[in-house]
Amino acid sequence: MSADHAYAVELKGVSFMRGSRSIFKNVDISIPRGKVTGIMGPSGSGKTTLLRLMGAQLRPASGQVLVNGQNLPELSRSDLFDMRKQMGVLFQSGALFTDLDVFENVAFPLRVHTQLPEDMIRDIVLMKLEAVGLRGAIELMPDELSGGMKRRVALARAIALDPQILMYDEPFVGQDPIAMGILVRLIRLLNDALGITSIVVSHDLAETASISDYLYVVGDTQVLGHGTPKELMESDNPRIRQFMKGVADGPVPFHFPAADYRDDLLGTR
Amino acid sequence: MTTDSVIRQQADGVLQLVGVLDFRTGAALRDEGEKLIRAAAASNVVVDCAEVEHSSSVGLSLLLAYMRVAKQAGKTLAVRALPVEMRQIAEVSGLLAILPLQA
Repeated sequence: MSADHAYAVELKGVSFMRGSRSIFKNVDISIPRGKVTGIMGPSGSGKTTLLRLMGAQLRPASGQVLVNGQNLPELSRSDLFDMRKQMGVLFQSGALFTDLDVFENVAFPLRVHTQLPEDMIRDIVLMKLEAVGLRGAIELMPDELSGGMKRRVALARAIALDPQILMYDEPFVGQDPIAMGILVRLIRLLNDALGITSIVVSHDLAETASISDYLYVVGDTQVLGHGTPKELMESDNPRIRQFMKGVADGPVPFHFPAADYRDDLLGTR
Repeated sequence: MTTDSVIRQQADGVLQLVGVLDFRTGAALRDEGEKLIRAAAASNVVVDCAEVEHSSSVGLSLLLAYMRVAKQAGKTLAVRALPVEMRQIAEVSGLLAILPLQA
C-alpha cells in the first residue's frame, strides 16, 4: 500500500445490481486524499450502497473499487481486515451498543483490534471524547444521551483507531440545528487537523455543500455530475439543477412511473 | 513492534523516541519507556521526539503514560521536539496545555 496515490478511494467502471435491478451502471468516482468529498443524491439513489462498496461490505458486479490503490474485491480476508482498520464509518443510526456505557463504546474497537494496555486505551478514549466535547459523558449509557450526543459518541468511536478514511452515512439526519452545526464543525476539524480523507453521503444539500471541497451528485444509476459546490450550483445540467435547487419536479419526475391515473381509478373500459 | 520503533537512552535523563508510534508498537514502547524512566539516574527526564517518523494517537498516549510513570517515580518529565503531526493530534484532543512541552 502506498499513501502516494492522489485519490484515497477510486471506483472505476463499477456496476452493482440488486436482483435484476441496476443500482449503478459503469460508475466512476474518485475521492481526493485529505479532502471532504460529499456524495449527494435523492433518497433511494444508492448513496449508502456506494459506501458499502467502498467498505467492501458489498461486491460490485463489475469494475474496480480501489482503496489506496488496492482493488478491494481482490483482497484476501486478512488483507481486507487490515484495510478496514484504516476506514472508519459513522453510521446513520449511530449504532452504539446500548448495553455498554460511553467509555466502553469508544474503547470497543481498541479492545478488538489492538493489544494496548488498559491505561493507554483509557488515554485514547478520553482523547477522542475530548475531541467531540463529550469527555464528561463517559459514564453515561446510550439511552441517557440526546440524538446529537449519540452521533458524537459514535464519531469518537469511528476515530478511535485513527482511520485514514472516514465515511459518514447521512450524518445530519434527524439532528437539531445546534447538533448539526457541531457535526459540520467536527467533520471539518477532524479532516483538516488529522489529514483524514472524509466522505460524506447525504441528501442534506446546504450542510453537505458547506463542508465539502468536492461533490458528486448520483441518481438514476449514474453519476449525474461532479465538481466543487460552486460549480455544481452553477451547472446547466437540468438533473443537477433540479437537485441543487430542490425543485420537486423535473428530469427526475415527482411521480414514480405508474399506470394512467384515470384508468387506474375508473377502469380502462 | 517493528524493528525501527524504539525508545532509547540518548544521554542520562534524555530518552529518544524513534520510528513509528502506532497500535502495533505502542505496548512495547510503553514498557520499555517505563523501565528507562525508572532506571534513569537523573530526576528530570526529557523525552525527545525529533526522530519520530509517524505517530497516531498512540504516540500521545505514550507521552501521557511516561508522565504518569515519572510522577510515580518522583521525577519530572519534559517533552522535546514534538513533530507537527503529533502536535495536531494533541491540539484536537485538548492535550497541548497538559503535555510538558519544551521549546
